[in-house]
Amino acid sequence: MGDEAAVFGASGFTGGWVKDYCAAFGATAVTESASAIIDTLEAAGPRPRVVTRQAGDRAVLVEYGEIEFDLTLNFFALAAHAALAEHAVSGVVESAPGFRSLLVTYDPHLTSASELVNALSVVHRDIDPSAGMTLPSRLIHLPIAFDDEQTRAAIARYGNSIRDDAPNCEGGNNVDYIARYNGLADREEVYEALLATEQWTGFIGFFPGLPFMFPLDPREVAFVPKYNPTRTWTAEGAVGIGGPCWAIYPVESAGGYQLVGRTIPIYDIEERNEVFRGNPLLLRAGDRVRFHRVEEAELLELFGDVRSDRYRYRIEESPFDVAEYLNWLPSIEDDARERLERCEAAAATTPVP
Amino acid sequence: MSGSAGILHVTDGGLQTTVQDYPGRPGMLAQGFYPAGAMDHLALRAVNLVVGNPLGTAALEITLGGVGFRPDRAATVCVGGATAPVTVDGEEVELWTSHRVPAGSEIRVGIAEGPGFRQYLAVAGGIAVPELFGSRSTYTMGALGGHEGRGLVSGDELPLGAETDAAAGRRLAAGARPEHARDWQIEAVRGPQATPDFLTEEDMDTLFGRWWTVDPNSNRTGIRLESHKFDWARSSGGIAGGHPSNILDNPYAVGSINVNGDLPVILGPDGPTAGGFVVAATIAHGAFWKVGQLRPVGDRIRFREVSVEDAIEIDNELTGRLTEASIESV
Repeated sequence: MGDEAAVFGASGFTGGWVKDYCAAFGATAVTESASAIIDTLEAAGPRPRVVTRQAGDRAVLVEYGEIEFDLTLNFFALAAHAALAEHAVSGVVESAPGFRSLLVTYDPHLTSASELVNALSVVHRDIDPSAGMTLPSRLIHLPIAFDDEQTRAAIARYGNSIRDDAPNCEGGNNVDYIARYNGLADREEVYEALLATEQWTGFIGFFPGLPFMFPLDPREVAFVPKYNPTRTWTAEGAVGIGGPCWAIYPVESAGGYQLVGRTIPIYDIEERNEVFRGNPLLLRAGDRVRFHRVEEAELLELFGDVRSDRYRYRIEESPFDVAEYLNWLPSIEDDARERLERCEAAAATTPVP
Repeated sequence: MSGSAGILHVTDGGLQTTVQDYPGRPGMLAQGFYPAGAMDHLALRAVNLVVGNPLGTAALEITLGGVGFRPDRAATVCVGGATAPVTVDGEEVELWTSHRVPAGSEIRVGIAEGPGFRQYLAVAGGIAVPELFGSRSTYTMGALGGHEGRGLVSGDELPLGAETDAAAGRRLAAGARPEHARDWQIEAVRGPQATPDFLTEEDMDTLFGRWWTVDPNSNRTGIRLESHKFDWARSSGGIAGGHPSNILDNPYAVGSINVNGDLPVILGPDGPTAGGFVVAATIAHGAFWKVGQLRPVGDRIRFREVSVEDAIEIDNELTGRLTEASIESV
């Protein structure tokens, strides 16, 4: 790696070349110490550290806190997203949350990145996750069948056509690998990690309606590397995990998450079930999903009932009390830490795909 | 209205022809929708200008060429973009120029030999497929919008919008036409994940200094470049994944130069809205049209780093070109 870097780094195509080229075209030369960071605000009170980065000439990426798996950062990002939508800031076209970030797209003729930094600092001032903050949320119940035929088919197809020696696909399933990587005793403990807690939808992305979900109970946390290379086929409704994040595949597609089973549709542009009328997406950022286990035969029946508009999704309006959640966390802190250490110890001795 | 305004019959759909408008479907990023819309937004707006449509009107985006269409009423049309022979009932007509074609005639666009990869066919009155979330654009990854969410095939019938003014005999002045090449300079702004915390200054010199060859496995979702081992300013991605290109998943802006492990990919208008890889630089909106003209066989890119101010200036220059001042009579 060092040698290749030397070859490219030592070539004539360096900062000096960029400057000459820019000068020839009348553009401002970008200094060699240019940074993509526009602004940094250290943490203060309830507000985490805020780093604002330039994301092209029409967007800034606002990052909260450090690179760590801390749902409080996601609560902060969702609150900022909601506040921006509520109090129209001049020039803002839209915002979209990530796990600990917010991409704010703007019209450069109406505002600028530095004006946005100021506007956002006002938005941030009113967000305090520990003080009585609630986030709009719904509790959505979904059935899941584990180790079903479609999941096995996706893994078999991968073994036959893409890679036949992937450690994550040993035995024709991904669940054994998830267990091994996290120091869990068996498949049942993997299933338990998904079933035993409400899963928090941190944001929607990659594909329309695809939820990035995280366990609200940190005692159920699991991490796992993604496929390498990725799969070319995954069934609609497949449920998988990548990194610390669970996802549901909205349509039949390629994918890289380790698969555990299958649920019912969460997206339908053809609106074949009443739940999709006027909006083809089931889930929104801030929703919680509670999975319950069913046999494969029942799942297939429910899948058909969704399509024929006989199934009614169980959705409860249920705002999420952030302070209550944060107050609860310390009571399980020791168990959560133990779980994390178990995962990390197992991961250290498990091959990566 | 569309029923009485005519039909455009597709006689040959070619490699990939889709209905696209501009700016597509912005405002839905938080729900996981990329905007779709014309990949070469300059050419789409220019052909609309020539036929007298509002600049963002839905038109056809043609990939490489080799397509044919037959309107069932007289129509005013203009083809622009990558140079290719355009014929009406076998008779060659000029690009970037509006032509009145009779009902039942066949408009054919031949293969673009390069430079350039996509052509745009505008019809006065527009392609009147139903709007989905405020746009007629086809979002190929989501298989939605446009005509049944897919590329056109022979036998498809597209509703045409009502013509208001026939605007034949107009052309885009030579000076206002885009220049195509096989080696492209594409302007980009550093970040969001670049120096100092993700990539080194040397990495950025490499990104902006070398030629990158376009991989054949490229389309509207993304343009893949070549693998390159960056130095990286950090040793690993930590909890987000072992590789230093891994981050906790975040949303991506269109035009992101996304580094997937060792592979840089330019995210196209139909790309994934979010993911867990760093974005080293973002293509200036006013330069993004060039991405739509990259031929995935042999074209090369050199990214030219510009400031945000310069990027805005590039876009202003482009918008300034898309006015009546750029139109001349044939």
